[in-house]
Amino acid sequence: MRHVTLRATCHLSLVTPLLAAGTVLFSAIPDGRTQPNGVQHASDFTSVEYFEPPHQQQMKSRLSGAEAQPQAGGLLVIRQLKLETFNPDGKSEIIVNAPECVYDTFNRVASSPGHLQAQTGDGKFRVEGDGFLWRQNDSFLTISNHVQTVIENAMK
Amino acid sequence: MKDRPAKIVCLFVFLALANSARLCAQAGANAVVAKATNAVVSVPLPAATNAAPVAQPVKPHPLTLIESDGPADFDLGGREVVYHDHVRVDSPEMKLSCEWLAADVPQDGGHVTNIVAETNVVIDATDDKGQKLHATGARAVYVYAVQNGATNETVTLTGSARVEYAQDVLTGDVINWDRAHNHLSVPNNPKMIIHENFNSPAAGANSPPATNPPANMTNLSPAFHRSAVDTNFPPAKSELVPERHDPLLDH
Repeated sequence: MRHVTLRATCHLSLVTPLLAAGTVLFSAIPDGRTQPNGVQHASDFTSVEYFEPPHQQQMKSRLSGAEAQPQAGGLLVIRQLKLETFNPDGKSEIIVNAPECVYDTFNRVASSPGHLQAQTGDGKFRVEGDGFLWRQNDSFLTISNHVQTVIENAMK
Repeated sequence: MKDRPAKIVCLFVFLALANSARLCAQAGANAVVAKATNAVVSVPLPAATNAAPVAQPVKPHPLTLIESDGPADFDLGGREVVYHDHVRVDSPEMKLSCEWLAADVPQDGGHVTNIVAETNVVIDATDDKGQKLHATGARAVYVYAVQNGATNETVTLTGSARVEYAQDVLTGDVINWDRAHNHLSVPNNPKMIIHENFNSPAAGANSPPATNPPANMTNLSPAFHRSAVDTNFPPAKSELVPERHDPLLDH
């Protein structure tokens, strides 16, 4: 169960079914820059996925970004990506931040050659590196280069 | 159960050798090799972890840094991370390097409970007294668990396992390092290499000449020829290696 909402920051005009896969609703807020393929630029968006019943009221993950630039093939160039995952009790599990990435809305995969930071909800497990691939379906993250992990209280 | 006398005798042999080595240890030492197949070598390390509790000042959270040259895979659902290519772990009391490392991602700010390191594993640690430990092996498995209020923290080395502690070298098929009790044990095929200075007057008249150090057990002096099974060492206490309860021998 997933839907995407866009919170308007300036220009608000139309709703565009942008993210495919049937269950996705994507409300686009064009800011006047029309793309060659006719899809509009969006800003301050949030995509929320919920748990299956009986926890259908609880967020499973929340993907947000400051900007989303739609590309052909169901791709989105997202700036200031923030991904959060939660457990069924609503507790934050993982928070991922990246300045920019490409999100494949069909396959639900985000990737970028750029930097990435991630940490657990309590901040005691932090990791960063350059170049990443995030598979949303199975919550699998690969960081390619310069991987650094800091763990508090990992070992005595 | 029937191996217990042999184990105890072996331990006393080791303690006597270790004590002798420490008494005689100086620069330019020669090497003595003691091998006791199918016995247990158990080395209580002189640390203060199971001493009487002393009030300690509150320390900041110790940080562990893990770096790798290759990619790292995070299974956030399974809460596991795998690092590839020249992995380095740097924690306040232990440094580790290897080619592949898997660890669990702690939950709720908890402790890492499982780490598996493989290929060219090198561990350098320093105990509470500043004594250095250098360990190598093909594989190391770290396990941390708290059961019934008791903390178990172990590192198991396999694959040409070797531990250098103080001036001694311990090798075996498997070397278990009980970090909670600062204790080393080799359950199978242990070999101990003790660096001893035979030029020292304290070495005694039975010591072999310094210019021709023994390469193995068969070259040892008669005093060292006493094997773990045919020696009836008195249960003397070691002055430098504190006597401790050893669960490996207590069965």
